[in-house]
Amino acid sequence: MSDHRLPEELLKAAADGDHSAWTGLVGRFGQRMWSVAHACGLNEADTADAVQGAWLRLLENLHSIRDPASVGAWLATAARREALLISRRGAGLRPHLCLPEGGPFDPDPASLILEADEGRLLWQAVSALHEPCRTLLRLVATVPEAGTHQLAVRLGVPTGSVGPTRLRCLNKLRTLISQEETVP
Amino acid sequence: MIDDEYLLAALRIAAGHDPVPAHVSAAARDTFALRLAQADTAAPAESVATRDTRDADGPRLVRFATQDFSFDLEVTIGDGLIDLAGRVTPHPGDGATIDIRTPHLTVSRDLPSTGQFAATGLPPGWFSVVCHRPGFTPVATRWVRIRP
Repeated sequence: MSDHRLPEELLKAAADGDHSAWTGLVGRFGQRMWSVAHACGLNEADTADAVQGAWLRLLENLHSIRDPASVGAWLATAARREALLISRRGAGLRPHLCLPEGGPFDPDPASLILEADEGRLLWQAVSALHEPCRTLLRLVATVPEAGTHQLAVRLGVPTGSVGPTRLRCLNKLRTLISQEETVP
Repeated sequence: MIDDEYLLAALRIAAGHDPVPAHVSAAARDTFALRLAQADTAAPAESVATRDTRDADGPRLVRFATQDFSFDLEVTIGDGLIDLAGRVTPHPGDGATIDIRTPHLTVSRDLPSTGQFAATGLPPGWFSVVCHRPGFTPVATRWVRIRP
């Protein structure tokens, strides 16, 4: 059953010890945290670690989040930060210690793209792209586990060009949606 | 500027692919049990973050501190499990206890007069150490991820 309280109400109640409010936050924002951390290029085990790390950061900050209404964006930002820390981990030292970075932080404004309506608009923009971008973005979005080799075969391009093509396509998509945003 | 990870994640969420695994959601819900109603937070201090890099597989030293309290931790790995030894300064007085916490288990120790404590064979993952001080607010280190 979904919890209909506002995000800021869930955060306040969780900070006061209400476990059901915390569960409500997990139900509301757990998916986007997973997807953001996974999109940082981690495997499933490391993605799970990053997501758990982000929840632990919320525990550390239950009373100190500056804008409680944007706790969803804060959690997505925390998941990305933990995932990037894990992906750059250690300078070859073992055991690997991922120490928390800095103090309080504000959510990335870019994380608002994770709201449901934005995703629909994003896919409309993808349909407007030319090949190979349309196919490539569909593949990386719908087959998250596809490796570079698999993508190269599906697109009929050399393995070495998948990375640069992916960057170029994401840039085109970004340009397209930022143009839409500026249209009154 | 929207970062690549947010763009990709937004596409995947809207496509309904890459669902969050059930065990990840369960772990997230269970994390709430680790909430401390009241605690001071000790953050990592820069000074002793790493030991000589030539000893790449040796113990790692890390300090967590508040303004007036510190944890010095030594992390070692054996057979894929984590050994943690440490010391708190200053000693908080008689009756103090230490909790070495992971999301899966908590190991509790009475704090001897030396201020030292240790636990061995802990599962890799997230860790925090809490010192309960009679008459004062507990002090907890921020969570740190330790993996082989």
